[in-house]
Amino acid sequence: MKNLNSVFASILILISAISFSSCQDEVTTTYTYRAMMPVYLQMSDVRARTITIEPAHELENPGKIYLYGNYLLINEPQEGIHILDNTNPASPVNLNFIPIKGNVDLAVNNNMLYADNYVDLLVFDISNIRSIKLVERVKDVFNHLYTTSDTGVILTFKDTVLTSESDHGFMGRGFFLSDSRASFASNFSGAAQSYGQGGSMARFTLMSGHLYAVDDYSLRVFDVKNPAKPMHIRNINLGWGIETIFPFQENLFIGSNSGMHIYDAKTPSNPQKMSVFEHVRACDPVVVNEKFAFVTLRNGRNCFNGVNELQVVDIANLRQPKLVKAYPMLNPHGLALAGDFLYVAEGKHGLKSFNVANVMGIDQNQLEFLQSMKSVDIIPGPKSLIVIGPDGVCQFDYNTPSKLKKLSCINVKNPVNVQ
Amino acid sequence: MTTRLLILGFWIFAYLPAFGQNRPYFNQTELGVLIGNPIENWSGKNKNRVDFSLISFHGAEISKNQVLGLSVGLDQYEPLTVFPVALGWRGFLGKENRPQLIGGFDLGGGFALLEKKEKTEWYESWHQGGLLLSPSIGVKLPSTRGKKTALTMSIAYKRQELGYFMGNFDFNPTPRPFTNSKLPPGYSSITETTYLFHSLVARMGFIF
Repeated sequence: MKNLNSVFASILILISAISFSSCQDEVTTTYTYRAMMPVYLQMSDVRARTITIEPAHELENPGKIYLYGNYLLINEPQEGIHILDNTNPASPVNLNFIPIKGNVDLAVNNNMLYADNYVDLLVFDISNIRSIKLVERVKDVFNHLYTTSDTGVILTFKDTVLTSESDHGFMGRGFFLSDSRASFASNFSGAAQSYGQGGSMARFTLMSGHLYAVDDYSLRVFDVKNPAKPMHIRNINLGWGIETIFPFQENLFIGSNSGMHIYDAKTPSNPQKMSVFEHVRACDPVVVNEKFAFVTLRNGRNCFNGVNELQVVDIANLRQPKLVKAYPMLNPHGLALAGDFLYVAEGKHGLKSFNVANVMGIDQNQLEFLQSMKSVDIIPGPKSLIVIGPDGVCQFDYNTPSKLKKLSCINVKNPVNVQ
Repeated sequence: MTTRLLILGFWIFAYLPAFGQNRPYFNQTELGVLIGNPIENWSGKNKNRVDFSLISFHGAEISKNQVLGLSVGLDQYEPLTVFPVALGWRGFLGKENRPQLIGGFDLGGGFALLEKKEKTEWYESWHQGGLLLSPSIGVKLPSTRGKKTALTMSIAYKRQELGYFMGNFDFNPTPRPFTNSKLPPGYSSITETTYLFHSLVARMGFIF
């Protein structure tokens, strides 16, 4: 009974103490957001740093994947290039890493690796993969990064996470919240588009002894007939929002926000515009064969196409491309064409394969639908089909195109997020 | 944390009948008001928070003057509806069949089950429950007719934590999670709000 008395007394004291102190509710709001912080760099400082080959790094955010002989070269955006030995696609070996700040793309020509280093183009001799050497620096070719070229200062952006705290918040479904939410979201989509998509990424491709690099608004042409000494020939203005470049039989197919540009590159040093196919938008990957271009259109957070489909475009007459047929898809991302076989990455829905010998009946010729293989991009390599998805960089044996066989997956620290 | 407490609570509740074989079932159900002092709004004013509160305690006697059990209920915090689930203790002071003092202590969690989880193309948001702690004191006035039924009046302090999460999705073309422990993969920004409500509760009800 005595114990109970003291319990009662303490409860009473507790309640009265709290009541009389008129305790106020507490609210803490933490806002954590991703922002692009501007970084100004003096190009002379960038050039002064020596590039030393480092031991293998773990893949964090793999960017472009390039196949060269038995090697896989994987870009780590803004950081450098991973080199993997892919002699046996069932167990690729991570060999080493070339640290190149500001690097977003690469291409290899006769054992010469081309890589961008902010405004410069670097050439590495990779004939001996264990002893990679920087052999050439072509200066000031991607000069759109300069704030003013005479000062030699470049502007880049660093992905940063910022946190702010406040002791005021909004209550649940309060009016403040529901109002602000909409504007928030739209602001963010706007902000993301201004850096995420185009950014200042160069996209490289090699064809007929020339290196073509596209950035936001131009096509830069380099003569690489002497692989160790690229020569910058010209810039061709393409309009804004350039995204991808796909070479095929002396033609360049350039994907932009406004459409697919087709350039005739029979004179490799001076590509000529042939036509623009307007229906294709930025996040619509394109693959091409002799007669047709295959394009995937998807509806997503950043790709407001309103449809999810595979379009077949007749390009027999490159000056007048025309839509042949469209097939409904689930949420198609990247695609790959290997002979008569087309592989479509369906995002979170999986991976599909088709026989496209008859372009009018692609839907009746679906070979496989691997629903467990979530994927965003596919590269048809000589030894394996490389599939990029939440599991990392995976390789499949596709000797029997209708039956894919998984060989390996390279783990990635931050795999793509498929939603 | 709250989920663990809840599991523990149910576990104890499930075992209560076992050691309460000849301990009669005890129920106390009360209705009342939650009074609190919210933070200033945008204009710097604050008006007292006065909301509805319901508690229903189910337990079994563990000794002559003590009951152990589980309390469930419904608390309103301005726009938020919270379902509290807590382990509870009740103690009685005074002679039987006469007005008695009741002391109580509840420890558990509050769950914002009615608050819908929202998910759109651009963002998702939800409310999170949180720890609940509530000591109470009151009087038990036995009815003149039935032996078991009694009227109760009590005051309590209630400390309720709640959380709100909103995440805006990452809009990059191939959304890559950004290496940062502060920002979960797939979001470009998140807003996390923690609420701590201090309330004084005044309730009336019955014991069966």
